[in-house]
Amino acid sequence: MTIQSLDISPVGRVEGDLDVRVDIEHGRVVNAWTHAELFRGFEVILRGKDPQAGLIVTPRICGICGGSHLTSASWALDTAWETEVPRNAILARNLGQIVETIQSIPRYFYGLFAIDLTNKKYRHSRYYDEAVKRFAAFTGKSYELGITISAKPVEIYALLGGQWPHSSYMVPGGVMCAPTLTDITRAWALLEYFRTNWLEPVWLGCSLERYEQIQTYDDFREWLDEDRNHRDSDLGFYWRMGLDIGLDRYGAGVGKYVTWGYLAHEDKYQKPTIEGRNAAMIMKSGVYDSFADTHVLMDQSFTRENTTHSWYDEGTEDIHPSDRTTKPTANNTKDFDNAYSWASAVLHKDFGRLETGPLARQLVAGGQHGESWQHYDPFILDVFKRMGGASIHVRQLARVHEIVKLYRQAEHCLREFKLNDPWYIKPTEKDGKGWGATEAARGSLSHWVEIEGGKIKNYQVIAPGTWNIGPRDGEGIRGPIEEALIGTPIYDSSDPVEVGHVARSFDSCLVCTVHAHDAKTGEELARFRTV
Amino acid sequence: MTNVLWLQGGACSGNTMSFLNAEEPTVCDLIADFGIKVLWHPSLGLELGKDLQTLLWDCISGKIPLDILVFEGSVVNAPNGTGEWNRFADRAMKDWLLDLAKVAQFIVAVGDCATWGGIPAMSPNPSESEGLQFLKRQEGGFLGKDFVSQAGLPVINIPGCPAHPDWITQILVAIATGRIADIAFDELNRPQTFFNTYTQTGCTRNVHFAYKASTAEFGQRKGCLFYDLGCRGPMTHSSCNRILWNRVSSKTRAGMPCLGCTEPEFPFFDLKPGTVFKTQTVMGVPKELPPGVNKKDYALLTMVAKDAAPPWAEEDFFTV
Repeated sequence: MTIQSLDISPVGRVEGDLDVRVDIEHGRVVNAWTHAELFRGFEVILRGKDPQAGLIVTPRICGICGGSHLTSASWALDTAWETEVPRNAILARNLGQIVETIQSIPRYFYGLFAIDLTNKKYRHSRYYDEAVKRFAAFTGKSYELGITISAKPVEIYALLGGQWPHSSYMVPGGVMCAPTLTDITRAWALLEYFRTNWLEPVWLGCSLERYEQIQTYDDFREWLDEDRNHRDSDLGFYWRMGLDIGLDRYGAGVGKYVTWGYLAHEDKYQKPTIEGRNAAMIMKSGVYDSFADTHVLMDQSFTRENTTHSWYDEGTEDIHPSDRTTKPTANNTKDFDNAYSWASAVLHKDFGRLETGPLARQLVAGGQHGESWQHYDPFILDVFKRMGGASIHVRQLARVHEIVKLYRQAEHCLREFKLNDPWYIKPTEKDGKGWGATEAARGSLSHWVEIEGGKIKNYQVIAPGTWNIGPRDGEGIRGPIEEALIGTPIYDSSDPVEVGHVARSFDSCLVCTVHAHDAKTGEELARFRTV
Repeated sequence: MTNVLWLQGGACSGNTMSFLNAEEPTVCDLIADFGIKVLWHPSLGLELGKDLQTLLWDCISGKIPLDILVFEGSVVNAPNGTGEWNRFADRAMKDWLLDLAKVAQFIVAVGDCATWGGIPAMSPNPSESEGLQFLKRQEGGFLGKDFVSQAGLPVINIPGCPAHPDWITQILVAIATGRIADIAFDELNRPQTFFNTYTQTGCTRNVHFAYKASTAEFGQRKGCLFYDLGCRGPMTHSSCNRILWNRVSSKTRAGMPCLGCTEPEFPFFDLKPGTVFKTQTVMGVPKELPPGVNKKDYALLTMVAKDAAPPWAEEDFFTV
């Protein structure tokens, strides 16, 4: 049996241009390479600009998680300028982040992922006809409702920031808005509308309270069998069909996971510092190593980058993002033995390659580490252990599991606003270094900023895609998506939908693959980097 | 049936996300009720790899009629005019674009990157980005000043960062229902129906503008954002405050200065130090005034306005 190489360009329905090469033997993927194919050069653009330019520019790195970029950009400036951020502003930032992610869940699930369940490959599944009825692009009953109602949560974002996507309402020192009774009441009503028209009746088939009782894999199976509405909800139906078509049997990945943690506690991060961040987040940071079954906290200083297999001439050492000297190669020809992507390989100095995203967040949420008051949820960790580790199916479950807890966090913000208290405390602009981070819907996002002489000297971003889509590192170790593709069965090499499933289960966001390069001289420019 | 092909160059998907927020009609209504068929879209299309490449070649050969080509994102020419920094479906995106532009009945540029080059084309423009028919305010762009699509129109420009969903859906519907001939375009090929009025038109802070009552800093419930915080509402063409965003608000209503994102100069002053969220002034007078107002008259007007201002203009106005 010979090895067949398959080049898939583009994969599509991931944000940006992702190309994949897979080697297939005996109908299964035995090797894989992911390459990011777009370069815009944000780092060059930001260098020398106003310190606050990142608030306008970085949301435009990615229109899907622009609110997450804005969150990171504003916290980065807060730490650099040593601002004070009023309680209301922390809540208003969190609410923006939360509703953006809530929006993303149905939009991603129906728009990007579930339509593949209607692929002809599955026509023999007993679930197929129903899947077509629900999930067919543009015409499926759930597709239409899910895509349409996904616009509702971000109406809350617009009440705070004027519009979604691409507001810049979060600024160092707080937020620009000062909501009134009208805004808060409308926001409540929008949340309720979302809950009563889709989340409970269509997605869960039960109340939020009933769903929240699920703490273990057995609880989940019990929930599924308890009531016809649970089984026939989109969640119940998807879970049953996924098992039937084997989505639980491939797409594992690297088995180690990272999250920065996110949602600053409104009383614990009013004087934001880089060092104080871990102990101030509602959702805790961490690294979960499934081989050793250990949880530890994550710190920005543990981050390393390697460009051995990327289109840069920067040696083969692992270095901290802020020490990079971005020197791209002008010729970005694909060479699978050498360089084949604009993405760099991101690592943890001790744990190596890590997967980021909702699965990572939920595996970390099941850890006993961190502060006693921080959010704890053992459900996905238990599912992961009971089902023998990660798969497309478990990754999806984690993605959609977050919607209920985020809904509760949104309620918390609305309850806690004290409308007559301050929303902004004018900071003093100064030089310095800052770091801000959050969790976008699809994973860990962080910004490093350095301000010197009243302008940006260096701005760098490591986005979820940087972690997940990266090529091989200095030791030849595959990146998370490359690793997750190993073992994928290919039913029809002219329509490798399974590769699509795996790549899309990470909800990859490639539109951030940008590096500095002066085409005319090839000399090093800024060191702002995003993938 | 109107065939639409939507492609992205140096894009962030912001316009796609905005488009998905559309109501009246929703994206699904567009397809069900207005006879629009989406041949492929980067976030919504079913095909991948070779299947998609075949579809694109079929459009180019005329086998599949291409009624509307929607382009989102800048045209990336780097490195050195090759476009290799933005490869798509095994070719430089600009090469696909050139071939498809020859066969499309209509071409619609959605968002600032596709219209003028947008943020990627900001100084020093490392990706050698440009818009389809403009680079900033300069005519030409990727397709050239004299380009017209098969239906005889230049590229229809729907700017904004992002474009408002209604601007996108209404133009698609106008083409699909044979109404596009009724639409007048301005000198930047923007549909006048959306871009003839100012962003300030309908702003809830207009009364504060009139009395020269300023919002001195963020997070306040009074004043106009034009005098201190760099709001470009009076100088920017858009219907933002007439039709609102996400059905509920607008930047200026929410207390955020308008950044002028429907104009080719966005982001203004290339975001040089001191230009972000700060009004540029000379001797305390804003450097840029509402179009058609001369400096002398403006000085007189504001002096009178300030004198005539009632006390409430300086108090919290939009109270809890």
